[in-house]
Amino acid sequence: MFFTVFAVLFLAFSVAGIVCALLSPERGVALSLGCFGGVASVAMGAVGVCALISDTPFEVRLWSVPTVGPLMLSVDKLSGLFLLVSAFVFLATSIYSVEYLQAYLKHFNLRTLSVCYFAIMLAVGLVLSAADALTFLVSWELMSLFGYALVNYQKRDEQSTRPGYLMLVMGEAGFVAVVLAFLVIGGRGPGNLLFSSLRLHSASLGWHARWAVFLLSFFGFGVKTGLAPFNRWLPQAHPIAPANVSAVLSGVLLNLGIYGIIRVNADLTPLATAGPGLVVLLVGAFSALMGIMYANRDNDMKAMLANSSIENMGIITTALGAGLVFMTFHQPLLAGIAWIAAFYQMTNHSVYKSLLFFGAGAIDRNSGTRLMDRLGGLSKHMPLLAALFLAGALSICALPPTNGFVSEWLTLQCLLQSSVLASRSVKVLFALAGAGLALTAGLAVTCFVKAYAMTFLGIPRSNQARQRARVRFPIRLAMGLGAVSCLLLGVLPTYVIPILGRVSELLTGVNAAAALVPPFFNGAPGHSRLPHSFLSDFHNLGAQVGQNLLPAPGLVVLHRGHAQNPVVFAMSTSYMLPVLILLASTLFLAVRFVLARRSKTVRKPVWAGGLASLFPELTYTATGFSSPVRVTFNAVFHPQMSEERLELIAGHFRNSITRVVGEVHVFDRVLFQPLVNRASHIARTLSRMHHGRLNAYSAYVLGTLFVVLLLSRTQVEEHVVLSPALILIVALILDRLL
Amino acid sequence: MSRWVISGLRQGVVTTCYPTRMETAKGTSPGLPARLTPMADEFGQELVDVCPTGAIHFERGEARVDYGRCIHCFRCSRSARYVLEWESGFEWARFASDGSNFVKGAASWPKAFRKSMHIRVVDAGDCGACLNEVKQLNNPYYNMHRLGFFITPTPRKADILLVVGPVNDHTRLPLQAAYDAMPTPKLVMAVGACALSGGVFGPSFVTGTGVKDVLPVDIEVPGSPPPPLAILHGLLVAAGRKPPMPGQDGR
Amino acid sequence: MLNLAGMAAEAEQNWPGLVQAWVDRRTPLCELRCPPSEILPEVVHWVVDELLFRFAGLIVEQEPQEWDLRYLFYSIQGPPRWARLRVRQPLDTPKFPSISPQVHAADWYEREAEDLYGVTFEGHPRLGDFVLHDDLWQEAVAPMRRDFDEKAALAERRPDLDWKFRRIVHDPGAFAMPVGPIYSGVTESVQFLLETVGEDVIRAFPRLFYKYRAIEKIAEGRNVDGCLLLAERFAATTAFAHALAYCQAVETICRVKLPPRAHALRVLVSELERFRHHVGVIHDICESTGLSVAASQAAILEEDLLRLSGDLTGHRYLFGLAIPGGLSRNLKDADCIDAVEMAVKILKRLQELDDGLRYSSSFLDRLEGVGIISPGKAWEFGLVGPMGRASGLGGDLRKAQPYASYEHFEFDVPLESEGDGFARLRVLMAEAAQSVRILCQVPVRLEAGDVAVGVSLQSGRALGWVEAPRGATFHGLHLDESGVVLRYRMITPSFVNWHGFHLAAENFAFQDFPIILATVGLSATENDR
Ligand code: SF4
Repeated sequence: MFFTVFAVLFLAFSVAGIVCALLSPERGVALSLGCFGGVASVAMGAVGVCALISDTPFEVRLWSVPTVGPLMLSVDKLSGLFLLVSAFVFLATSIYSVEYLQAYLKHFNLRTLSVCYFAIMLAVGLVLSAADALTFLVSWELMSLFGYALVNYQKRDEQSTRPGYLMLVMGEAGFVAVVLAFLVIGGRGPGNLLFSSLRLHSASLGWHARWAVFLLSFFGFGVKTGLAPFNRWLPQAHPIAPANVSAVLSGVLLNLGIYGIIRVNADLTPLATAGPGLVVLLVGAFSALMGIMYANRDNDMKAMLANSSIENMGIITTALGAGLVFMTFHQPLLAGIAWIAAFYQMTNHSVYKSLLFFGAGAIDRNSGTRLMDRLGGLSKHMPLLAALFLAGALSICALPPTNGFVSEWLTLQCLLQSSVLASRSVKVLFALAGAGLALTAGLAVTCFVKAYAMTFLGIPRSNQARQRARVRFPIRLAMGLGAVSCLLLGVLPTYVIPILGRVSELLTGVNAAAALVPPFFNGAPGHSRLPHSFLSDFHNLGAQVGQNLLPAPGLVVLHRGHAQNPVVFAMSTSYMLPVLILLASTLFLAVRFVLARRSKTVRKPVWAGGLASLFPELTYTATGFSSPVRVTFNAVFHPQMSEERLELIAGHFRNSITRVVGEVHVFDRVLFQPLVNRASHIARTLSRMHHGRLNAYSAYVLGTLFVVLLLSRTQVEEHVVLSPALILIVALILDRLL
Repeated sequence: MSRWVISGLRQGVVTTCYPTRMETAKGTSPGLPARLTPMADEFGQELVDVCPTGAIHFERGEARVDYGRCIHCFRCSRSARYVLEWESGFEWARFASDGSNFVKGAASWPKAFRKSMHIRVVDAGDCGACLNEVKQLNNPYYNMHRLGFFITPTPRKADILLVVGPVNDHTRLPLQAAYDAMPTPKLVMAVGACALSGGVFGPSFVTGTGVKDVLPVDIEVPGSPPPPLAILHGLLVAAGRKPPMPGQDGR
Repeated sequence: MLNLAGMAAEAEQNWPGLVQAWVDRRTPLCELRCPPSEILPEVVHWVVDELLFRFAGLIVEQEPQEWDLRYLFYSIQGPPRWARLRVRQPLDTPKFPSISPQVHAADWYEREAEDLYGVTFEGHPRLGDFVLHDDLWQEAVAPMRRDFDEKAALAERRPDLDWKFRRIVHDPGAFAMPVGPIYSGVTESVQFLLETVGEDVIRAFPRLFYKYRAIEKIAEGRNVDGCLLLAERFAATTAFAHALAYCQAVETICRVKLPPRAHALRVLVSELERFRHHVGVIHDICESTGLSVAASQAAILEEDLLRLSGDLTGHRYLFGLAIPGGLSRNLKDADCIDAVEMAVKILKRLQELDDGLRYSSSFLDRLEGVGIISPGKAWEFGLVGPMGRASGLGGDLRKAQPYASYEHFEFDVPLESEGDGFARLRVLMAEAAQSVRILCQVPVRLEAGDVAVGVSLQSGRALGWVEAPRGATFHGLHLDESGVVLRYRMITPSFVNWHGFHLAAENFAFQDFPIILATVGLSATENDR
């Protein structure tokens, strides 16, 4: 009942938003986007909440397509969670856009943006609720196209469209892989393309086919998620996109890749062997490490945030992979915990990354630059913005008691649980991934210390950074929403985990949340079910004292040790917060009333070795700050230095030294360039197909999809191996036609 | 590594017995002329003329030497007909005559530095000798760490500003900045004849007549350069652990 | 190799009617009078690159009617000879051609003259903001001019709060770290600008003259005795060397012949000072590398030498000893012999320390390959003293232009060619040993007799030179008949070598900066004057 109401509301408001955008005067577009977008996203979130609460999925049967079979929408708990998270980002973005888009007024056509925005909202809703392959793929493709349109929104010249184009091409390559994956699953025909039938059918798949499904889907969705090494488009796409689009791109679209990986590999064709799970685990850890390294290197705030998204997606993927491996080793409880960690991390990332992108956008708009080398000292005239950005930065650095800490703690702890696994090599791989994540966490701190310090602290490094600016209410509200969510998700994990537990229960069949957040205190229901030994151990934690003072659920318990070694690994950000507040206020009071009585605070200029005053060019730049990281990981960055000297008289009176650092991204250097070189002559032979018309390319793909699906349904019962060949043939035919 | 440990141990202890007892080793101090010498007028006037820095005053049959101006040029001990006695010793530090509030008694002398004191040294145009003698305080011979004195790189942590040199034009602002950057209570110690009176350099268009032109001075250590032991005495006076030179009120 | 007469003839032949040559056989010196036109750089080029004279320095003097510029050159091979280029110009046209493009070593001399006298050097690409800091003084202020009104200059000056360092590194993200003027522990007031993009320093450049006390200006109008105090005390760690150079200038003007004992004792005290100075630098090097035991041992040796000096001469920094005409006091033979014996003992301990250092790989790692100055660059910048000799640039005034009876002593001038920090340390160690070698020869040359003769003051100009511990120093003096100083010029080794300091401070790790600084062993006070 509620489902239908909210779903219809969502649909209605989105369509109304489009209509309104087209009809309202140009100046009202931003406001209408905010209002309709806000309400639509609330409705979207409500659908998600309903799905999470209800025990049965909400299903709608759409029409039937001849030769393909019936099409269907269904919102289960997994979709529900993703809908809820996406809805949060859309809500905040809608609010933010009201103010943010004012700057675009008169320079750009806001109508296009608004229409694309609602369209992508609809597409996202559709992807998440699709319950058959065709709907899923079509909506996925629509989402990609509208995503491309949004990212490329402020295109000015050839240079700035390239990244968007790269994004499209990579996305389409991934899309082809996903199509193939579905072909393999449904290749021999269960009769229709409904997920439910595919689910049943997949059980009969052989070893080869399973690997094929995994590799194709992991590649296809991984490209969208920004996993290494196919993520070169992401850090290039973000800087050219408006900030609100960046927030959606990072906070929603990347998540959908994760959704795809889970949907295919944990739901439709659950993995049977540990191999694929380990691949996911290692690719995740590798992506995280690479992402954060490049985030450290980047001085463009948005490129840095984009690389940090890669890092976060890597962490999520690692946890995901751990879950997949645990499942194949028949450890559903651990798998559940790992997936809770993944979902938690994903939720957090959407929240704080949209917050940070909002901040970057506000700074960009006020100062006209996102380059940290040119910013500095912003906290003086934008204190609130600085505080909100700091909240996001602290969360992304995983410092307790923020949300990032909870999810990263869970992720790392569940990687440590690999000790229960039998295989030694798997344990080693888990340890490797864990070490990678630990290094990532450390580098994340340096990265965001740099981002915050170079942007907000110190003295302004350019005139632009010196400009005073007001951060208006919608921006403050949007960012405040994010900051408060960060804190709440951080201090109330015991309320979040059961919700996420419902989702993982759907996939594992075991309620991991009950294990993670057990009832500890005597009075709590279910307490008596806990083993006595555990309770007596727990006694030592002093919890028995706390039971009268503290709210009951507050501890996240991960590990209870063994009979020989009864230990409890637990953490509690909920209890930590009051302690922190208590400590901080005690300290403050002590300083204020005890120390301050005997001494007075005097403010003096920075000591600069006797220099009269410190100039901006005499202080550390972001490049300088990250230099140790760049030097340490020199092998990765591999800079090529060329020095140019200008001398007034040959050999003497040097007037300038300019060193140009040429750097090729490690993936390009190690992987793609050699590949490209090898394949260039093959490419030349196929060059007839390259005529540069974008619509033609998209038409190829859409057409291919339909034709292939039709073919696979009707006549061809042959081996999947033929499918790529088919695609090629179809593409060639289309090429002739266009 | 062990090589250095052994060679360090073999070196033994060389540290001076000062301030427990007086140091008597040769060459530790250039000494100064006797502070007060009664003599006939004709000799006295000649002595006043012979002194290049005007350190000798002759009044009522007594030649007095102002240690703050004496630069050990030895002219009064060799070029006059009636030479001044030369006195060894090094405990010359005194409170500044026209000094800070602490000296004037407007504020009570800080007690916090009795056990330990952090020193920021500022070179305000010295000739290198005073600075080198300050450097010798870290020498094993003098080892001021044992007395709780430490050199600090930033004035933010400094308790006492040790200024050498006559304060020339280009160092004046940095010197003031260093003083301003120090937390209170803070002391200023002028070390060497130049820092006390401008020495042979001041006054000129780029050089003043010492630190007192710029900052309120608390302790003065005469000598050109004052040997390390004299500076050590100055630090002990600043910390309130030794009395200043008797009978010297800065005049 | 031309003799001076031949040189004079060839000069007049090369530039007929333009260059007038004149030979003074007493010094011996060949003076070339040259018009302030474009032939000046040609003549300089001829003297330096063909006759292989070394540039000693530039003396500017404001005569009542004209500017008188004297470029000094000395031979480092063959018999001791001097060349002097003299350029005059009426007072109202203070313009001269720059010779820095030909002789890069002249760069700073021209900048200094421009700042202090307000004479410009056409063709010099970078004048201004040198001795007088531009953030405090207007460019037009020229304090060394005879008509300089200090009251007006001080009253009119407006500090420039927006003054900025000239940065030359333009990498994206490059920034500069200012070091000083008040930095580190016990250091002289110098400022460095370290340009970097984070980890490695691309270039470090000193900003000097923080300690500018206008010694050359305040010397004018003093008598010989008053000026001696300045000569002795402007750079006190090498006080005796500078006092000696000054005294020699006075003695040349007044044509004084010194008793042999005075010469021998001057050598004794000079070498004692050199020994003590070098041990001090070695101590700084040990300390900069964090080798505390070695640093302590070097410090003990330095204090031993200070005490030895104090015991022998009455003053730890040898003040008040050199006077025109000899020494102010006679040193007893027995004391001298004791002092030499003591110095030999100290040298033995220094050599033990040296052995230890050469076996400490952690120490050597930090010196080797650090702060390299190539021989070619050293020649272009005309580096002097241990810093030049570590880069293969010989030329020790004790050999090239002997003074104070050094021609009677046997010693070697150590030379290294690597030009890195370790080469500089080796040169210092070897020179310390040579100093003791000279000290050991002094007692046998101590003839009985006076150590001073009376000086009757005359008017005139003369140059006194000494191989100071940091390198060649030249003191030019102009006295009037009553013995009042009209012009006193100090050309110091630190001034020459700071000019080339940035050669050693390019592309280095930040933590090597103190080491580079310690190994070059330069003095700001000697430079700034
Ligand atoms: S030593 Fe020199 S400065 Fe000191 S009192 Fe005697 S004459 Fe004057």
